[in-house]
Amino acid sequence: MKLHSNPWLRTAYARLWLRAKSIYGEPLWVAVNIGFPFFTSFSLTMVYRAYGLNSFTGFAILGGVMISFWGNVLWSMASQFNWDKQVGLFEIYITSPAPISAILVGMSLGGILGTAPSAAMVAILGWVIFHPPINAVWPAVISVFALTLASLYAMGMALSSLYLAYGREADSVNEALHEPVSLISGVYFPSTGGFSPFPLAVQAGASLIPLTLGMDALRRTLFFGQGFGELYLDLELFSLAIMGVVLLFASSKALKYLENKGRRTGTISVRQR
Amino acid sequence: MSLRAMVASIRVGWYREFNWTNPLTGFSLRTVGPLASVIAASTVYYVGSTNNVPPSFEPSRLAYILIGAALYAHVAAYSWVPTLAIAEGKWTYVFPQVYISPHSSLPYLTGRTLASFVTSTMTVLVSLVLSFYVLSSVFHTNIPFMVNPLSVSLLFLAMLVNIFAALGLGLLLSAYALFATKFEWALPTYVAGLLMVFSEALFPVSALGWPLSAIANVLPFTEFMRASRQAMIQGGTVYSYFSYLGLALLGGIVVLVMGFLAFRYAENRARRLGVIDKKTA
Repeated sequence: MKLHSNPWLRTAYARLWLRAKSIYGEPLWVAVNIGFPFFTSFSLTMVYRAYGLNSFTGFAILGGVMISFWGNVLWSMASQFNWDKQVGLFEIYITSPAPISAILVGMSLGGILGTAPSAAMVAILGWVIFHPPINAVWPAVISVFALTLASLYAMGMALSSLYLAYGREADSVNEALHEPVSLISGVYFPSTGGFSPFPLAVQAGASLIPLTLGMDALRRTLFFGQGFGELYLDLELFSLAIMGVVLLFASSKALKYLENKGRRTGTISVRQR
Repeated sequence: MSLRAMVASIRVGWYREFNWTNPLTGFSLRTVGPLASVIAASTVYYVGSTNNVPPSFEPSRLAYILIGAALYAHVAAYSWVPTLAIAEGKWTYVFPQVYISPHSSLPYLTGRTLASFVTSTMTVLVSLVLSFYVLSSVFHTNIPFMVNPLSVSLLFLAMLVNIFAALGLGLLLSAYALFATKFEWALPTYVAGLLMVFSEALFPVSALGWPLSAIANVLPFTEFMRASRQAMIQGGTVYSYFSYLGLALLGGIVVLVMGFLAFRYAENRARRLGVIDKKTA
């Protein structure tokens, strides 16, 4: 199938290109994006190291890598349509024949491409400075990483439709969500399983967030030498795949619902509430 | 500096922070983040130390991290407000309007910082209390905090003294923000990150190695953290508290003077170059 003959692919490619270009066209973005994840990851790695817990330093570095993507999902996926609405772009999306799902997928792929350099820098700097002990099964690491990003960005798509219904609250909700989700997802420490200090109910609730399962699976494959065929890891991979599909479906339905509601009530292009 | 202008700016600051919703919702949303980050930093230590071979968990270290994480979030939350007031003010045309009214920019930035200081102080106190109870019950441990009217007053005094350094840092960043047209909002995240590393928020600065540890040792923010720990953690002494507080005050005044001079110089230069209301590169 040729790209130019398919409007869905053309739209997704156009949105991907735009997002990637906005990052790679301004190399300073990489320096800007690396600040928060690097220093947080550095500090928490130092906490592990300063108190003689060297075998855990890799957890904090991995957390720094994944927090870059989580930040991107919140700030550049979830709230993007809301911002687009404020500047008048969303009504152009709606009135054009471009499929919204293609715009979302393009935005996600562009976001992943755009965040990759800063995430890689955190990983490289962490590796060079701290030399964390690694016992990786690389095919499993790559699969888990890809599935985690897929379901994480699918969650971003679902949130983007939710945020569309909000006005100025979106930014504050984002700020309020960032740290608590990082905490219960166990970005810097295991929040589920044997190492977790949290009660079972909290662990069960946290497991409904793709980032929690992804982080746990990444730690298993990267630091504990687990590969395909390990029951718990396979379960996590399966759950991540299911979550990705469900969230993708939910985001498409929610957007369609909000679009129809916005058309009926005439609020689709109302910018500030 | 006009007191009236500063009081008006404090009110503007609160309207800016809470006007979009009722104050309780706004305050709750602002507390959730710091609370979560305090618990996360403490949990990192707990998970590492209890799973270490042999286990090396010490409640006093947990108290050390808890205080540091909460106070770091406090400083980071309000020291970047002057930069935000300028960056956001350029986009919303507020800052050029403030600038053209006589002698207003400095009281405006100071007032916005003080408004944020009050909000952030309440936020950090709630975070400290909640995280103390959450962590004590989840980790089944006694965190060796010293909570009495004197220790809380000493903590509050240390927070007040730290305003000098935080405002000075804010003015230094603002001097840059006057000229910047892109990424100026990212600068405070770097400074906040550097503070996390260099202010002894989560680990002793001696772990950084020379010469980084020597630099971190003389920062007023580091002395502020040390004074606050002397006030709040069992085993602290009044002599050590006042020694650290004195150093924090001295360093804070130095940073404030530097920030004031840098801002004055930048303001004059920005006026001559005509960039006070410049929004794009």
